[in-house]
Amino acid sequence: MGSKEICRNELRIAVRQLSDRCLYSASKWAAEQLVGIELDPVKFTPSNTRFQRGSSSIHRRFRNNEITSTPIAGVSYVSTPVMEEDDIVDGDFYLLAKSYFDCREYRRAAHVLRDQSGKKAVFLQCYALYLAGEKRKDEENIELEGPLGKSDAVNKELVSLERELSMLRKNGSIDPFGLYLYGLVLKEKGNEHLARNLLVESVNSYPWNWSAWSELQSLCTTIDILHSLPLNNHWMKDFFLAGAYQELRMHNESLAKYEYLQGTFSFSNYIQAQIAKVQYSLREFEQVEVIFEELLRNDPYRVEDMDMYSNVLYAKECFSALSYLAHRVFMTDKYRPESCCIIGNYYSLKGQHEKSVMYFRRALKLNKNCLSAWTLMGHEYIEMNNTPAAVDAYRRAVDINPCEFRAWYGLGQAYEMMGMPFYALHYFRKSVFLQPSDSRLWIAMAKCYENDQLHMLEEAIKCYRKAANSNDREAIALHQLAKLHRKLGRLEEAAFYYKKDLERMEAEERDGPNMVEALLFLATHCKDQKRFEEAEVYCTRLLDYTGPEKETAKSLLRGMRIAQSGFPSMSAEHFPP
Amino acid sequence: MREEEVEKLRGVVRDCVTKHLYSSAIFFADKVAAFTRDPADVYMQAQALFLGRHYRRAFHLLNASKIVLRDLRFRYLAAKCLEELNEWDQCLLMLGDAKVDEHGNVYDTKETNAMYLDKDGEDREINISSAICFLRGKAYEALENRSQARQWYKAAVKADPLCYEALECLINNHMLSSEEEASLLSSLHFGPEDEWLSSFYSCLIKKYDKENVVEAKFKELENESYSSNPSEQSFMRTLKNDTDLMACKAEYYHQCGEYQKCFELTSILLEKDPFHMKCTLVHLTAATELGHSNELYLMACNLVKDYPQKALSWFAVGCYYYCIKKYDQSRRYFSKATNLDGTFPPAWIGYGNAYAAQDEGDQAMSAYRTAARLFPGCHLPTLYIGMEYMRTHSFKLAEQFFMQAKTICPSDPLVYNELGVVSYHMKEYNKAVQWFEKTLAHISSSLSEMWEPTVVNLAHSYRKLKMYNEAILNYEKALALSTRSVCTYAGIAYTYHLQVFGYFFL
Repeated sequence: MGSKEICRNELRIAVRQLSDRCLYSASKWAAEQLVGIELDPVKFTPSNTRFQRGSSSIHRRFRNNEITSTPIAGVSYVSTPVMEEDDIVDGDFYLLAKSYFDCREYRRAAHVLRDQSGKKAVFLQCYALYLAGEKRKDEENIELEGPLGKSDAVNKELVSLERELSMLRKNGSIDPFGLYLYGLVLKEKGNEHLARNLLVESVNSYPWNWSAWSELQSLCTTIDILHSLPLNNHWMKDFFLAGAYQELRMHNESLAKYEYLQGTFSFSNYIQAQIAKVQYSLREFEQVEVIFEELLRNDPYRVEDMDMYSNVLYAKECFSALSYLAHRVFMTDKYRPESCCIIGNYYSLKGQHEKSVMYFRRALKLNKNCLSAWTLMGHEYIEMNNTPAAVDAYRRAVDINPCEFRAWYGLGQAYEMMGMPFYALHYFRKSVFLQPSDSRLWIAMAKCYENDQLHMLEEAIKCYRKAANSNDREAIALHQLAKLHRKLGRLEEAAFYYKKDLERMEAEERDGPNMVEALLFLATHCKDQKRFEEAEVYCTRLLDYTGPEKETAKSLLRGMRIAQSGFPSMSAEHFPP
Repeated sequence: MREEEVEKLRGVVRDCVTKHLYSSAIFFADKVAAFTRDPADVYMQAQALFLGRHYRRAFHLLNASKIVLRDLRFRYLAAKCLEELNEWDQCLLMLGDAKVDEHGNVYDTKETNAMYLDKDGEDREINISSAICFLRGKAYEALENRSQARQWYKAAVKADPLCYEALECLINNHMLSSEEEASLLSSLHFGPEDEWLSSFYSCLIKKYDKENVVEAKFKELENESYSSNPSEQSFMRTLKNDTDLMACKAEYYHQCGEYQKCFELTSILLEKDPFHMKCTLVHLTAATELGHSNELYLMACNLVKDYPQKALSWFAVGCYYYCIKKYDQSRRYFSKATNLDGTFPPAWIGYGNAYAAQDEGDQAMSAYRTAARLFPGCHLPTLYIGMEYMRTHSFKLAEQFFMQAKTICPSDPLVYNELGVVSYHMKEYNKAVQWFEKTLAHISSSLSEMWEPTVVNLAHSYRKLKMYNEAILNYEKALALSTRSVCTYAGIAYTYHLQVFGYFFL
């Protein structure tokens, strides 16, 4: 209980401090985690806890006087300096500047603070300038948009900001928020190494700024970098590590971390959504669906991450649920990239690909770096047989995140459609490298090897074997393996795979032409091997099917009977007296 | 086999039945019956067969053992078998002759049914004659003899107030007018410990009373508490959160036109008990009124998936299409619902409404007429027929139907409003004023926007009667309810105009 109380107090103060510095999303995140902490059942009466789960409203009241009860210096096991508030002198100007900032008049806010020297004021001034630059950049992006939506606008404030912040740092008069901003600026300018160092410095001295953590996370592109970061121990580090593992596709480690965090933050919607994300990467769609249903019950107007839910519903073809979700987010906030992706998915499932593309385009208008929108739009173009557009969309996706294996796969598909198998193979290889546990990718690659242009059956067999080993849900690989082996005349191997395929089909109670093919092959094969009993079993099973195979089975059986009864005479033929 | 072993075996049979292992139950019951030849054991065997769905066999067993006609319980079970086999005439024959009068009093020709509690007084059971009456009612309903069915249902409730099923049938199928319901309820004899049930039933029946009366009824029930230790508040258990009661309340809100309140309540309820049928129905109608098409869509999809054989599911689909104004499709699904269950009142009315929405009065009226025939206790079909006549300016006929609706349900303000409108059209302005005043007097909750037209109507009537001050007073009242009504402003202006210049035209 103690640690929960500590987290709660820390977060409460952090929310104030963050929103005082206009770091809105970090403050939102912190506040979300704050109410995500399980309440101490002794202290709170049932009437307070009833808002926790299974109820649509999440008004929770806390007694405010508790904040002051624990001294801040004692709460954390990081050597956190108490954030001393700036002198009262620039307080009024700060208030004015913050109000301007809240009204999104960034330059005006910066101007008000031009002569202030307090750390807080300096930070807000720099941050306002940074955002002013960002705003201008976005506008330029729209104004100077090239034919493919590309443009090379930059934030023009970066240079002066860097100069100012580096000077402050040399003076030693920079606070953790300033460090965060400095890191952000450097990251934008491409100086990743220094940016990392600064962000580490920032989170070590002020760990509750989630924005800093997530910037840091995006800079950790390999495991080695992650492990080399000199981070102090703090519970916020667990959040960071969980997210970083997830980015680095160490799904199980990430899941373990999140589950550990749930011990404290058991009602956190954020953690739930993240777990859903991990499960989605592990392709555990059922679980993802359950989690999202619960999330939606607790937080019915949530739009964040809901596009993933729609992906799951799309994959499972739950038409009514997807329609409901689409209508719902449409009413909640239709101009959010996530909403647009959901509606795009909805139209795609309805088969209206033009409309779907329109919504993905809208999502990208709202957020140019919306990864899933680029990828999904690529998929739509593939559906519409517009390969050049698809290739372009996929390329944009991999430009944003080179780890997006779906986009690499899509590229491979597009090139395969264009009859350029070597290109296709190159891209398939990339996607397989990123997601080696996905059988679909291996199968796609194998098909590419198999096709008439390349006809590299050995390689195809290798790929299929990989697919068969990595949880091949549609069970294509085994069948293909058997077929290829038969083609290559390796009957024993073929028989082995046919048998395996047969077992699998029996276990899953599937039926169909594959079954007939497997049975027929096994029957003939066993007969050729003179294992008549086995062959008979397969033949009798074949008799249940209609079609020419039945006749073949009959004749096989007949042949075997004759062979068995006439065996002595046959041997006599072989060994004439 | 010794007696105690047989007794043990009986215990096994009872246990099998509670664990739903019917085949085993049948097996052991057969053995017990073979040993003892005791009628009670034969009854047990028949019971096991019935539960195992071997109706014909159970019936044969009962019939062959010649004890059927001797005991009421045997006869009842045999009749239940025939019910399951859909042999309604035989079923009635098995239950024997008895007469019932209009008030549900039974005149039995042979036996006297004086067995209210025929077990030792501890655990209560439902009077067997009540069950028999209920079964008769069901049989008559299946044979489409609705008046007989109604009387037998009434008899069942009268014979034992705990026979909720009979009351449910009466209420859900709108078999009684609200007066009849009230008189039935007042004639029931509740035991002293069943006071709560009495108030519960009074909440179930039609709720056109004044708001405070109904609210008081609900309050009373909600405070009906069970507590082991009355001093401690937190251990009080009340019926407050009972789903049935809350569904009733939702229905009441729906009737008052407080659709938003109703919708919120049913949403909470459905989260708790997502398959509560009555609540689902109220939820659907409220959602239709409020135009929550997305909610309707999801519900309809789920219902059709889970209960494709229920009329309610297809009714939901119909509601969805009605809500998005695709009346053709909506009609198709309403009619599908009526095909599945001809006694599902909302579907018939929805069917009629879907026609009426496209101005196809004749078809709408035929649907309403069917509904009126099937559900004599429901005044809505007659009311709607009247409205259709009014639309075609057949005011005399309309008035007739409105009067008929008024006799069925004298407390619905809507009926009086329509009567007023008819009188207005027939230029009987004095009468119209009376009707409108009556409407406003019957509104259960406080005056809301829903009743703004009535106030305007009243004002118009006053204007026609040249009582300009009253007219203006009412116009202003209407404006307070809804400020954006053009015709009200026009009415005021015209009244002022008449007030000033009226003398010139005289």
